[in-house]
Amino acid sequence: MSHAAYYPPSGIYSDSYKKDMRIIKTRTQWVLSIASLVFLFALPYIPFVNSPYLLRLYIGVGITVIICLGLNILTGCCGQLNIGQSAFVMVGAFTSGLLNSHMGWPFWACVIPAGLASAFVGIIFGIPSVRLKGLYLALTTLGAQIILTWIALFGMPETAAGFSVAPIKLWNIVFDTPKKFFYVGMLFTVLMTFFAKNLMRTRPGRAFIAIRDNDRAAEAMGIDIFRYKLLAFSICTFYAGVAGSLLVHYMMWAQLESFTLQESIWYLVMIIVGGLGSIEGTIFGVIFITCLKELIFVVGPMAEGHLRFLPIGAGSGLLLVLIGGMAILFLIYEPRGLAHRWSLVKAYYRLWPFGY
Amino acid sequence: MEFLQKIIISGLMNGAIYGLVALGFVLIYKSSSVLNFSQGYMLLLGAYIFWFFKGSLKLDLLPSLLLAMPAGFLMGTLIERIALRPLIGQPLISMITITIFLSLVLEGLVSVVWGTYPLQQVHIFSRSSLKIGNIVLTTENLFAFGLALGAMLAIIIFFRYTRLGLAMRGVAEGHQIMQSMGISVKRILNLSWGIAGMAATIGGILMGSTLGFQLGLSHIGLLAIPAAFIGGLESPEGAILGGLLIGLIESIVSGYVGYAAGVPVTFIVLILVMLIRPYGFFGLEKIERV
Repeated sequence: MSHAAYYPPSGIYSDSYKKDMRIIKTRTQWVLSIASLVFLFALPYIPFVNSPYLLRLYIGVGITVIICLGLNILTGCCGQLNIGQSAFVMVGAFTSGLLNSHMGWPFWACVIPAGLASAFVGIIFGIPSVRLKGLYLALTTLGAQIILTWIALFGMPETAAGFSVAPIKLWNIVFDTPKKFFYVGMLFTVLMTFFAKNLMRTRPGRAFIAIRDNDRAAEAMGIDIFRYKLLAFSICTFYAGVAGSLLVHYMMWAQLESFTLQESIWYLVMIIVGGLGSIEGTIFGVIFITCLKELIFVVGPMAEGHLRFLPIGAGSGLLLVLIGGMAILFLIYEPRGLAHRWSLVKAYYRLWPFGY
Repeated sequence: MEFLQKIIISGLMNGAIYGLVALGFVLIYKSSSVLNFSQGYMLLLGAYIFWFFKGSLKLDLLPSLLLAMPAGFLMGTLIERIALRPLIGQPLISMITITIFLSLVLEGLVSVVWGTYPLQQVHIFSRSSLKIGNIVLTTENLFAFGLALGAMLAIIIFFRYTRLGLAMRGVAEGHQIMQSMGISVKRILNLSWGIAGMAATIGGILMGSTLGFQLGLSHIGLLAIPAAFIGGLESPEGAILGGLLIGLIESIVSGYVGYAAGVPVTFIVLILVMLIRPYGFFGLEKIERV
């Protein structure tokens, strides 16, 4: 995505391509990155922000960030719509959960197979649609959401009823409380974020952006569109699978009800509010929507209780109207999302006091 | 044998309604190449608007039907005016994404105004039925079937023989060209969303009178999408035939395999059709190897 307000840090002269492509360019950025990583991993021990409720929220945000990063690579960078992301989370979750509870594999051995299983199922659903020009992936992923949920409901008794999964273990440490799981979750979130950020400056990453911006020109330049669309989709579903694996081992329970079409649409809302094609935007979007959701879970029932003229169930309707409406407003008025605001802030800081 | 007969009849009758809803889907696709994922929720809102006239204001059947149609048209045009017009000239993906979010907003609106519980049943047609041999057809079904076929004919004629229909087909090809030919893209899009809203409202009223007025009505939109695709996204006659086919598949599968299998199997069919005939059975074949 083009940044109208992109200014490099002052005094940084990129005299080689390699230097221009660095993610972290200045000493301040190094300090800030390390400081924020330290802060992140010290979070469970900082008073006032480490209540169990908040820790659960952080973990939820971390796992959702992984899911949305995958979605953003596909939708934001490659320009393909996926409205069945939570079905692929489900594939990863059940693969990991079944491997763990039936075969007794530990989490560390399950997480990659879960991602690969998701990617494999994703490719099966992706092949019919990426052969066509146009946004038909939206149709097949909608189909995937419906078909996969149905398979999970009737294919196996375990997946229909839900089953328990062992918590993550590393030697003799069991990550069964939010405080302990926080570290595993955040480790994966940071790793996956780093991978996504890096992907965007590799050959496939550039190919994705070329396909999004103009598929005919991309094809003319020798980019194999079929292959790269499929690659983007399999990366997207791989992310979903890894997140699903984390999710079941965190909840220690795998159930069908957590993977609905509505969840999939919420993931789309998150990346659109955050900024399509932007890694940091994904994180902003997830945090923003999660906060909003928590707020409405408090306000919705209150409104329902106090305003007598509202019918039963109006609270959940309010949530839908607000979230959907906000996504529409963002698409119309700020299609680059919160990430654009962030880059404006950065530009203001860099140009200050001569910001004109 | 009688069971199969019953299933086939009810499948075809439901299929006509799916076809009608798919027509609205095709109409929007034909005039703007947008896949409208909110079609099912437009149907839901349309049905509830009808219920508002009939159930809340206690109007008679005919006035409420006559009021619900323009209200459905207005709903479509309003949706276009508020949500889609600002996106003219933007990439297609943002228009399609907005229809996904529209479905959230429409469902939310319905549950804020009317709640999530099913509303009181409203019967439109008398419960009388017609017997041909040992097949029983209700008036409801026959009316739905006739309406769907009539709407299909009207839309085919409209697209083939009127200037406005030609303009709509042109707009689907490219906004800039049509605008420079002196055709207002805004007006065309507005009209096609209005007509789609009306088609959705008719489908909603018909479905609502058989299934009851409840949030589950929006699931018909899920079936209209495969119907429209299998028939060919550009073709009104394909939409109706696709609707009938989907109705048939759904009712046979739910009859013999299980109720929940109906929708997933239609999507499996959709994916198979995508593999074999990517442009559907009546769609425009645009060979473009990109």
